[in-house]
Amino acid sequence: MVIGTLYGLVGAIELVAPDLLGNIGWLVFGRIRTVHTNLVVFGFLTPALLSVGHFVVPRLLRTQLFSEKLGIFIVCLWNVIVAAIFITLSIGLSQGREYAEAIWEIDILVAIAFALIFINMIMTIRNRQEPLLYVSVWYITAGIILTLIVYAIGNVIWVPGAGALTGIPDAVILWFYGHNVLGLLLTPLAVGIAYYVIPSATRTPLYSHTLSLAGFWSLLVLYSHIGTHHLIQVPAPTWLKVVSIVGSIGMVIPVMIVLINFWYTVKGKMRTIHENIGAKFVFTGTVFYLFTCIQGPIQALPQVQRLTHFSNWVVAHAHMGILGFSGMVAIGGIYFILPKMTGRSIYSKTLAEFQYWMILIGLVGFMVVLTTVGLVQGNSWLNGETIYRILPQIHNYNIVRAGLGVLIVTGAIIGLYNMVRSIFFNLGETA
Amino acid sequence: MNLKMTPTAVVLGGIVILAVIVFGVVYWPWATRIEQPSAIFRHRSAEEEKGRLIYIANGCVNCHTQSIRLVDWGLGAERIAQAGDYVADRPILLGSVRTGPDLSQEGGEHPDDWHVAHFINPRYTRPNSIMPAWEFLGNEKIRLLTRYVQGLGLKMADRRLERQKFWKKKSIKAYEAGPEKNVQWLHSQVPEGWRKIPNPYPTTKAGLVRGHKIYQDFCIGCHGPVGDGMGLAQPWIYPPPLNFTILKGRGASGGILYYKIMNGITGTAMPYFKRELESQKIWEVGDYIAVNFIDESDADQEPKGIDAAWEP
Ligand code: HEC
Ligand code: HEC
Ligand code: HEM
Ligand code: HEM
Repeated sequence: MVIGTLYGLVGAIELVAPDLLGNIGWLVFGRIRTVHTNLVVFGFLTPALLSVGHFVVPRLLRTQLFSEKLGIFIVCLWNVIVAAIFITLSIGLSQGREYAEAIWEIDILVAIAFALIFINMIMTIRNRQEPLLYVSVWYITAGIILTLIVYAIGNVIWVPGAGALTGIPDAVILWFYGHNVLGLLLTPLAVGIAYYVIPSATRTPLYSHTLSLAGFWSLLVLYSHIGTHHLIQVPAPTWLKVVSIVGSIGMVIPVMIVLINFWYTVKGKMRTIHENIGAKFVFTGTVFYLFTCIQGPIQALPQVQRLTHFSNWVVAHAHMGILGFSGMVAIGGIYFILPKMTGRSIYSKTLAEFQYWMILIGLVGFMVVLTTVGLVQGNSWLNGETIYRILPQIHNYNIVRAGLGVLIVTGAIIGLYNMVRSIFFNLGETA
Repeated sequence: MNLKMTPTAVVLGGIVILAVIVFGVVYWPWATRIEQPSAIFRHRSAEEEKGRLIYIANGCVNCHTQSIRLVDWGLGAERIAQAGDYVADRPILLGSVRTGPDLSQEGGEHPDDWHVAHFINPRYTRPNSIMPAWEFLGNEKIRLLTRYVQGLGLKMADRRLERQKFWKKKSIKAYEAGPEKNVQWLHSQVPEGWRKIPNPYPTTKAGLVRGHKIYQDFCIGCHGPVGDGMGLAQPWIYPPPLNFTILKGRGASGGILYYKIMNGITGTAMPYFKRELESQKIWEVGDYIAVNFIDESDADQEPKGIDAAWEP
């Protein structure tokens, strides 16, 4: 149906991204890490979430996607972008700004892609047969248009060469952007998809429309302005830090609203979630959303950051949010819509279950190990121990972490196999 | 609640909110930014700028912060960052994970030859390092990178680098005058009180084992497994790492060894270890060298004053 080809990309990248980390022997780690973060965010999560979005939106509006051709063009464009990001960063063409490393030419392509996606979406919405816009549609539409703006601003695309401002304002704008890649791209897309999958899997109407509204608007207001919580210990303006810390604590509101809405919808229907592997992934994602967003406000407090900032504690948080929440929802979304697209059940439920547990175990292990390392680092630094002295202390943890990474990679490879089989070579029963 | 969610409401509402926020937390900080350079600010030289581009291209920022905080003790903590230090940084390279040390004040910490050996392979000068080896960049790029890191800290770095250059000349002169003169010169730089102090700890098996471990973790890359100065870093370092065997019969007391290990020898690649090693560790690695490589130790000599409570 809509954008089947996206999956090839999605799966492939899903495999590539963690796979690269097989190089965790720190082989030119400086570049590997940049490639890793960019591929998981722009190569795996963004296209996966968008592709599910492209399925969900027309379906909720009881119409066709405005232009299939445009859709396919965007997929090709996005593939080119991801390949270009991969190549440029690997050969060392980087702007050196976290999550905004891609060079100017690629920035422009990304902006164009988002503009096209937006056009496609908004035209689909105008052609709709269903007068009411469902919550998922709000989130997905808002996510796309706001990301377009945030991306352009954050990458400082009016300065082609460096793609950066100068001094502290550059840090402020970078983290405004970096934070909103999570807050206005990954989070709304993932929440939007969960809003579709959860009621649909449980065959239950959403618990509360009012909560949906409150959650949506408070997310936009709160998430978008707290980027400076990445800069609490930097000589940035104090008022800005205060605003971001208060906003971070306030983030509990949209998160809890959304989760209450989800979980009350599911209440008494957990069985249906267990029975559907897609819904299971998505539901797990919402649980990790809770964990991430309890941790988030806490680590935005200056007293806590004394201990956690710059350490692997934050890396644990990042994997929990990016893989545990957005990643789980993205994989679940795909598993959920696959049968609806192909008209057949997924190739193997067992493999999907296996993938689920591999990723879950790997991820929880990551969280434990990285958080522990973060605490070791943070406490040692506060005690005046040098970085070099701590290296042997965290060495063993890094080995365990790499081992857990193997689980996640295995899960990803299995997932890719399963999805490809489901789409192309699936002789299974019709669902 | 009867708020109707039309497409216009979603799109326009979103854009309006974002516009307000961009104005508040992006434009406003920019409009009120501090462009006043700080006291230590100077512009980077053309070579330093080139080195900076190599730093960006290779993702050094993924492991190194340039952001010293109130709570820091480690490398660079002699200055807490000020906004005026960054006014020429485009992009700013604060970093978000501190896998390696903060480099805000790296300039002049070491002489150039230390950096070259370290970039070729960090394990040469730092046996436990997990920093990648950059030999593949080639000599020219390593030279430019070295220029960049030697400029980190701006005017404060310049002052330290002057010091390195000044003592580099002296140490080369002493080295080229032969072992006898070199050792004499090295020891004449140690304050007299220190020269007379013997190692206050007795030589014990346990102490030597600990000293051995410290030697392996910190010194082996330069001074070599048998203390002859032929570690892996040796080809890049001049004056080359000291061959400890030449110290025999030339009056190397425990105090001299301690003083040198603690403070390093500015101008040579010999780093200071007072940040990494506490007192007992320095005495014990000193005694390890004395016993194993120099083959004469003054450990545990009289008079020692009141007997220490902790002693085997
Ligand atoms: C895997 C992360 C990693 C990457 C990438 C990395 N480093 Fe390092 N760096 C370290 C670690 C760990 C140390 C501490 C141990 C040591 O001195 O080797 C270090 C130490 C250093 C030091 C010595 C600090 C001192 O005085 O003790 C310098 C200078 C340095 N790095 C520069 C660079 C440059 C320039 C790059 C990019 C070309 C780079 N690093 C890339 C991890 C990294
Ligand atoms: C990066 C290379 C390097 C490392 C690492 C290193 N050294 Fe040195 N060391 C040198 C150089 C170079 C000299 C001075 C040679 C000269 O001036 O002739 C030196 C000199 C010394 C001296 C001076 C002896 C004297 O009598 O004045 C002592 C003692 C010493 N090193 C001990 C150590 C110990 C102990 C360690 C490990 C904790 C260590 N060094 C690590 C390079 C290194
Ligand atoms: C309530 C919501 C959240 C709050 C208040 C919050 C807060 C924070 C804070 C304060 C930091 C910086 C920590 C430091 O540098 O010391 C951070 C980092 C991060 N967060 Fe969150 N977080 C939240 C939710 C999320 C979610 C949902 C995701 C993923 C989709 C996420 C992904 C990340 C990532 C990737 C980083 C690391 C950025 C980097 O340094 O590279 N966070 N978060
Ligand atoms: C095989 C599994 C994986 C391994 C071994 C792995 C390993 C790593 C490593 C070593 C880092 C660098 C941390 C540092 O600088 O110290 C990192 C960062 C990161 N990874 Fe992964 N990762 C894996 C899977 C994933 C997946 C699947 C995602 C997203 C879906 C992801 C998202 C991220 C992000 C966002 C960061 C940046 C964190 C930060 O800046 O705080 N990773 N990962």
